[in-house]
Formats: sequence, C-alpha cells, structure tokens
Amino acid sequence: MSEPLVKVDQLTKLFPVSRGMFRRPVDFIHAVDGVSFEIAPGESLGLVGESGCGKTTTGRLLVKLMEPTSGQILMQDEGSLIDVAHIGSDDLRRFRRRVQMIFQDPYESMNPRRTVFETVSEPLAVQNIGSLREREDRVAQMLQLVGLTPPNTFLFRYPHELSGGQRQRVAIARALVLDPSFVVADEPTSMLDVSIRISIMELMLELADAFDVSYLYITHDLAVARYMCDRIAVMYLGKIVELGDTEEVLSNPLHPYTRALLSAVPVPDPTYRKPEVEIKGGITKAINPPSECRFIERCPWATDICHASEHPPLEDKGAGHFVACHLVDKGAG
Amino acid sequence: MSSPPLLEVDRLVMHYVTEKGEVSAVEDVSFSLKKGEALGLVGESGCGKTSIAMSLLRLQADNAVFKSGEIRLNGENLLALPEDEMRRHRWKDIAMVFQGAMNAWNPVYRVGDQIREALDLHFRPRLSDAEVTERISRLFEMVGLNPAMANRYPHEFSGGMRQRAIIAMALSCDPSIIIADEPTTALDVIVQDQILQELKKIQEELGMAIIYISHDIAVIAEVTDTIGIMYAGKLVELGPTVEVFARPKHPYAYLLLSSTPSVTGPRRKLAPLEGEPPNLLNPPTGCRFHPRCPYATERCSIDEPPMEVVGDGHQVACWNWQEVPVTISQEARP
Ligand SMILES: Nc1ncnc2c1ncn2[C@@H]1O[C@H](COP(=O)(O)OP(=O)(O)OP(=O)(O)O)[C@@H](O)[C@H]1O
Ligand SMILES: Nc1ncnc2c1ncn2[C@@H]1O[C@H](COP(=O)(O)OP(=O)(O)O)[C@@H](O)[C@H]1O
Ligand code: SF4
Ligand SMILES: [Mg+2]
Ligand SMILES: [Mg+2]
Repeated sequence: MSEPLVKVDQLTKLFPVSRGMFRRPVDFIHAVDGVSFEIAPGESLGLVGESGCGKTTTGRLLVKLMEPTSGQILMQDEGSLIDVAHIGSDDLRRFRRRVQMIFQDPYESMNPRRTVFETVSEPLAVQNIGSLREREDRVAQMLQLVGLTPPNTFLFRYPHELSGGQRQRVAIARALVLDPSFVVADEPTSMLDVSIRISIMELMLELADAFDVSYLYITHDLAVARYMCDRIAVMYLGKIVELGDTEEVLSNPLHPYTRALLSAVPVPDPTYRKPEVEIKGGITKAINPPSECRFIERCPWATDICHASEHPPLEDKGAGHFVACHLVDKGAG
Repeated sequence: MSSPPLLEVDRLVMHYVTEKGEVSAVEDVSFSLKKGEALGLVGESGCGKTSIAMSLLRLQADNAVFKSGEIRLNGENLLALPEDEMRRHRWKDIAMVFQGAMNAWNPVYRVGDQIREALDLHFRPRLSDAEVTERISRLFEMVGLNPAMANRYPHEFSGGMRQRAIIAMALSCDPSIIIADEPTTALDVIVQDQILQELKKIQEELGMAIIYISHDIAVIAEVTDTIGIMYAGKLVELGPTVEVFARPKHPYAYLLLSSTPSVTGPRRKLAPLEGEPPNLLNPPTGCRFHPRCPYATERCSIDEPPMEVVGDGHQVACWNWQEVPVTISQEARP
C-alpha cells in the first residue's frame, strides 16, 4: 500500500453510563475499542456491522466531531502525517476543508430554514473562500455535478421542497464543495427508496473518481458495501473482527461473526439456498465487556483457548486479510 | 383449477380523502391467495402496500374510502360486513404482524397476559385458564421464545424478542391467513433472518397462508411462492416468485431487479432508475410508470395498460412488455 491518507491506531471511545441522577459513572460503553486501520488515497473502505457496534462513533471521531478517549488518528497533509488530536487552529481550518461527513438522515445536515444555496455555500463562507458571485458559480457547478439540474431551479428551495433523494444530493454537493480528500459517509442511502438508492451510489462512485476522494463508507448492508468499497472492515461491539479486500472477505469470510452476518443477508434470488446461520441471539450493548473475545457469548466455535485468553488481536492471515480470532490459522487468507 | 382461493382481492380501489384532494393509494388491485400459499407484495415506500394490508383487516385510516371492488374471504365480501361481524374475522381468520408492532406492547402488562386477553376475546369455544396457559407456552416455543418469558414485561424483551412475541400473538387464534407488513424492517439482519426462517417454518407446518409485505425484494425472494410488484398504487406484475425473478416482464420490475445489489453471484453493474415515484394526489395519466420508463411509447401516457396474462399464473400490466429484455444483464461492475 502507498502512504496512507488516514491511519487510525488503537482508537478508543468510551461513553460513561450513569446510574441514577447524581451517581458518578461507574460503567462504560465501549463504543469503539482499540480500532486500527489505514485508508489509502482514493480508496474506499466500508465499515459494516449491526446496529450499535460503533460505526457512527468511529466516523464522528475521524472527522473530529468528537474526541477519542484514547488512541491516535493520523491524516496525511501535504505529504506528512499529522496527529488530528493535536492540530493547531490554522491546521484545524485546513483539516475541516479536507475532511467532510455525509449523514444518514439528510435533515441532520440541512437546516430546515436554509435554502439549498445557503446549505451548499456554507462551508465556503466558513472558510472565507470566494466572493458571493464566485460562491454562486461554485454552488451551481456543484448542483450540476450532483444531478440537480438546472441548478437555478434548486438554488433557492428549502429542504421540505426536496425529496429524500434530492436532499441527499444536496448533502453530497455540500460535502464536496471544498474539494476534500476524505469523506465519511454514514449510511447515506439507507433511508432512500431502492429505486433512488442506486443512482446516489453511482453518483458517489463517479464523484470519488472525479474529486479523488477516499470514503469511509458506513453501512449495515453488506450488498451495498460490496458495490461501493474496495475493502471492508467488519465491526462487532467496538472491535474490528475482520478486514480485507471486499471480494476476498465476502467469498472467503474467516471470522465466525462475518460468516453469520453473510449467511443472514437476504439474497435476491429465490432459487438460492443459503447456508444456515450458526449463531443465536441478538447483539448486546458493550457495557463493561469481558476481557475475552468480544464475540465469545454468541460464538459457535468458542473453545477453552478463547475462554482462557484476552480478546484476540487483528492479525494478517495472509495477503492483507486481517482476522481477530484465536481459531483462524495464519495462511487461511 | 386446484383449490379455490381463500382470499380474493377483486379490483380494489381505495383512496384517502385529504384537504389537498384524493390520494389514489390502491388503484384497481386484484390478486388471490390460496390455502397455505405465501404471497409477497413488494414496492417502494408510499406505493400502497400498507393501505392494502389495512384494508384486508378493515383497519384502514378514518379518511380512507373504498371506491369500488371487493375483498372476499371464502367467498364473503368483507367490505360489505357490519363492523361487529368483521370483528369476528380479525385475529380468528386474518391476523396481522405489522410494521413496528414490537413497540405496540402495553408496557404495564405482562406479555403473556396481553396474549391471554386476545385469546379470551377471540378464541371460540372459550378456553379454560389452564388451556390458555398451555397454549401460550406452546406459542412461545413455536416462535423460539422461552415459555417462562410469558411472565415478563415488554421492556425485558429485546426488539427481536418482542417481534417474536407479536408473531406468537398473531398465531394465537389459529388464523388461516397472516399478514406480515414489514415484519423485520427495524431489526438487524441476523435477527431478521431468524424471524423469517421461523415464520416460514411455522407457516409451512400449520399450512397457513401468509402475505408478506416488504420494500426489500431480497426478503420477498426468500420466503414467498408468489410475488406481486406494486408501483404507485397499482399492481404492475404478479406471478410465481421464481419466474418473475428469472424473467421479469414489467419495465419497473426489470429495472428494480437490475438495480438490486447482492452479496452472491458476480459483482454486476447496477442500472439506476431515473426519477422518483409520483405523488399519488396527482398520479401520471395512462401508465403510472411512464415518466420514468425507458420503454414508454406515446400510448403509455394516454391509456392505462390492463393486466395481461403472459404465462402460467404470470400477469403484467404494460403495453410494451415484449420490448423488455428477457433476462437481467449480467454485465460486471468496472
Ligand atoms: N453520545 C453517546 N452517549 C452514550 N452512548 C453512546 C453515544 N453515542 C453512541 N453511544 C453508544 O455507543 C455504541 C455505538 O454507537 P454507534 O452510534 O457508533 O453505533 P452504530 O454502529 O453507528 O449503530 P447504527 O447502525 O444503529 O447506526 C452504542 O451502544 C450506542 O448506544
Ligand atoms: N391516512 C392517510 N391519509 C392520506 N394519505 C395517506 C394516508 N395513509 C397513507 N397515505 C398515502 O397513501 C399512499 C400509500 O401509502 P401506504 O399504503 O402507507 O404505502 P406503503 O405501505 O407502500 O409505504 C402514500 O402516498 C401515502 O402517503
Ligand atoms: S405501459 Fe408503457 S410506460 Fe408503462 S411500463 Fe409499459 S412501456 Fe413503460
Ligand atoms: Mg450509526
Ligand atoms: Mg408501509
């Protein structure tokens, strides 16, 4: 891999859980727990897993909407890696230019009282870029690119005058208006109808090429991740349990959780006979999790080794296929 | 003909009356359901799926009006029944597992007691206390819940467990038809899979008929024998699930299947559908799909295409279905 654009090392975010109003917090949700990965320039990494496993928290940490409890995020900036936790105010402004986020619910990123023009031009205003005239041109150009055409019919509309798909196009225009190099996209299509979903996914792929951006693409839908991502990382209760090239992970899943997740995905082919899902029960909250493997309670394979050891490290099992499981041999990847 | 249909929806037209005008939510929809059959209704949000489900139970919203058509259960038109007679059929003949039902449990009563109440109201002949308790235990086992959970309160159940308990409730009075409207939409995929497999097993064992409603065509592929594809209040294609997936005839069905990503098979290039579904306050004239349809001809914007039989049990409403490619493109994603 070339020099990474983003390098995350042992990233951790704990949320205190208070019991009763005045008690000191004694318990912690391990939302993100010792997560490490890299993203290459222009690469798109998928982050998949069930609800509550820590996907959004990871995304928010990466764009600095939230500070980590511990661990490090390094971001490439003019050829060198800078530590995102300790950037000064000048660098912070540049960071905000280069790193953006697209949310699941476009309402989250669009103020209902702001027009499309105001929403898309706001990052330009915050960064003090261009005259009003130039901003208008730039916004119109962005609307054209995201398929809101002709742009002048959209510039002065309010969010309630847009469909869900159009709102998500505005969110994409806003995220890309500063020409960032890294975008966290948090379930950008999961609230859209199927017939609109693919056009937004196609748009994001096209723009990734045109703008040379990398995505951290968060989704709970493995089929969507397959379409969008070069590599995928599977998360379970705050930990990455498997990471590798998308096709490799999907055709040769090694972690028992990935295998279960994959066999549970409904397949749009009535003649397909799926393998049985081996695990039982639902995901729990990661409150003060055990020090053993995070998956131990649901794991169909767990042995004495698993019960006697700490959570297994995420190890390369061959050809960049990383797995965190005591029972998966090296060379399996 | 084999067994006569259990349920027939015959040219049903249902509108909602609003300040802005009439919403044409269900427009001339016909289908039937045989004993033990699993039928799926699929379509995007707002296309009328829930409106049909609610109509079948006559639990439609207050501003809904049945303009024409019939819903016949064993030959009896449900739309003509007085409410108290309709009540006899609810739960007993047709039961429902609806969207978000898992949040409908009353938090202050034990789950078992809430099922007990339904049994007292609807199960005939009445059961003794001991019989009810035993029946609830059996229902819980059937849906994969520990029978001891019947004595617990809803907040002690996870989302998936609450939805299982809803299924137990729906099964409680031995209905001949279950309507499952997005039964697993809010759940994670592993729990969704468990519940779908469970429902399917029970349905096959008890020989119940079931109508699955979902926006997710992959879910419908897994659990149904017959599929109906809806677009903007209309049923546009109806046929054996395997046949419709292999050779969709309606342009919308074809495009929907061409734009569904999958974790299996080759990584296909997906064909996006242009535009967005219409507002049903003012649906397009002629074929409702014509503004988005790549196969549309002049006639499509003027005349409404009728349902036409194109194969064994396979019907499609499109003037130009013969122009649609016979199979889905397998072109790989670059
Ligand atoms: N601000 C917060 N305060 C306390 N707990 C939080 C906070 N944000 C997230 N959590 C908890 O952290 C864990 C991870 O949450 P997160 O939102 O990152 O999950 P997710 O993978 O994005 O889930 P989903 O698929 O539902 O969006 C969950 O247990 C969640 O309840
Ligand atoms: N009570 C109501 N009053 C007015 N319009 C309604 C009402 N309920 C549903 N609709 C409209 O009817 C159409 C069909 O809705 P629905 O049956 O809920 O679709 P689906 O279940 O397929 O998402 C939509 O356009 C919806 O906005
Ligand atoms: S009737 Fe015409 S517009 Fe409608 S689906 Fe067929 S070809 Fe398209
Ligand atoms: Mg999230
Ligand atoms: Mg609905």
